[in-house]
Amino acid sequence: MSAPIVIIGASHGGVQLAASLRQLGCEDKIILYSAEDVLPYHRPPLSKAFLSGEKDLDQILLRGPAFYEDHGIDLRLSDPVTSIDLTTRRLAARSGVQNFSRLILATGSKARELKAPGSDLQNIFTLRSLGDVLRLKQAMLDARDIVIIGGGFIGLEFASTAAKLGKNVTVIEARERLLMRALPASVGDFLRDYHAGHNVQFHFNANFAEFEGADGKLHAIRLADGTRIKADMALVGIGGEADLALLAPLGLNMIAGGIEVDEFGRTSIEDVYALGDVAASANMLVNEPMRLESVQNAVDQAKAVAAHMLGQDAPAPVVPWFWTDQYDLKVQMAGLSRPGAVQTIRGDVEGNAFSVLETMDGRLVALFSINRAADHMAARRLIAEGAPLDMNLAADASVPLMKAVAKP
Amino acid sequence: MSGTVTIFFETPQGLREVGAKIGASVMETAVMNNVSGIEAECGGACICATCHVYTDKVPQELLQPMSSEEDDMLDMATAERRSTSRLSCQLRVTAELENTVFIIPESQF
Repeated sequence: MSAPIVIIGASHGGVQLAASLRQLGCEDKIILYSAEDVLPYHRPPLSKAFLSGEKDLDQILLRGPAFYEDHGIDLRLSDPVTSIDLTTRRLAARSGVQNFSRLILATGSKARELKAPGSDLQNIFTLRSLGDVLRLKQAMLDARDIVIIGGGFIGLEFASTAAKLGKNVTVIEARERLLMRALPASVGDFLRDYHAGHNVQFHFNANFAEFEGADGKLHAIRLADGTRIKADMALVGIGGEADLALLAPLGLNMIAGGIEVDEFGRTSIEDVYALGDVAASANMLVNEPMRLESVQNAVDQAKAVAAHMLGQDAPAPVVPWFWTDQYDLKVQMAGLSRPGAVQTIRGDVEGNAFSVLETMDGRLVALFSINRAADHMAARRLIAEGAPLDMNLAADASVPLMKAVAKP
Repeated sequence: MSGTVTIFFETPQGLREVGAKIGASVMETAVMNNVSGIEAECGGACICATCHVYTDKVPQELLQPMSSEEDDMLDMATAERRSTSRLSCQLRVTAELENTVFIIPESQF
């Protein structure tokens, strides 16, 4: 009997891979390693419904407790992998040495750290994992003045949760507007204004200098221009990086900050796959390797890896999509924003329900929607089909977007 | 959240009886109890339409009203949309749902 299939990392991608392998008929032993001590869970609610207490851990589990055993998946919790040897196909974990026939790296990403004077003070946090939330939640509840360093998705979601609790929230952003790489200016500015309407303060073009405090406690943060902002809690949300801690000695090809993989998740070494945040690949929209930190990307890559491992047809490529919930706004993104695309607004910006279409040569390449779920779902299909749009119809929010395809 | 009720899921593989926590969503109940056919890829954010159920066998007045968002998402669900279609992440379990049956479509993709 062959050695087991071993998956390192039991979040959205790793769990989906194990599930998909079983669903497609794989009969090998499957071992799923997790460094965490809780059943695998959905990460997006961590900064929202779980942080606010609206949902408890039971309500955000990826799969029920019985799933793993019922599907013959050997889920090993609290069992960090500490080294990997590809020559002998063995790894060492807390529970001991394990051999494998095929290895899948789904180790995800970790929060980028802010190394600055004072960063060892208490009440400075990052937010990526359940453990992070459990560590920071009481500090958030006790805080009066919260500073968020980095106006990215996690920072803004946290800002909305904290602002709803009545905290004084300030967001420090190094660039001139929010989410410049991910969102069109009109959407970034809309979000800024919406947060401002909930009393969130912003500092743009702000270079962080140091944390200030006394007796180990945070009192303020200081910017390079001397501005001092009172803070008894700080959240650092300056992006993520692939978690490559284990991987340096393996000799895998790396690119764009991640492990280089093809459309089947194959790395440069046979029988070693990577997926999710840790992997960099081209996608159906952009023909150059990139890491995409999203649930959708992890889940769809896992499905592609499972099919390839079992010699089955690859699933159809999927248009990248992403969402963020802030206050009562449902912000959804389909496709990827591209320089040079033409932007068209559809809907009612003042009424908080609009979409920004990005088109190239009359074809939709990305759509950013605020409280317009139907536009988002239509865009996922229209981008995949590459159908030319009648832009007069597409700009008319009273016409369903699916009906805006140009007549030949 | 206190107490549980019994609800049923009718799947292509047969009928599943599960204990549902009052206050949880019908989707969360299905996931916790390992009911196949509810994918819930987005974890209940009402944006993936992979937790579609048919509520033919549930008295409609026991279900929370549908938001326009859920309505929009259902248009894009993979399985045929019917008048009784709902997204199970938007349905709260209440005591009144005791012994009700939710029907799971053949496919969520």
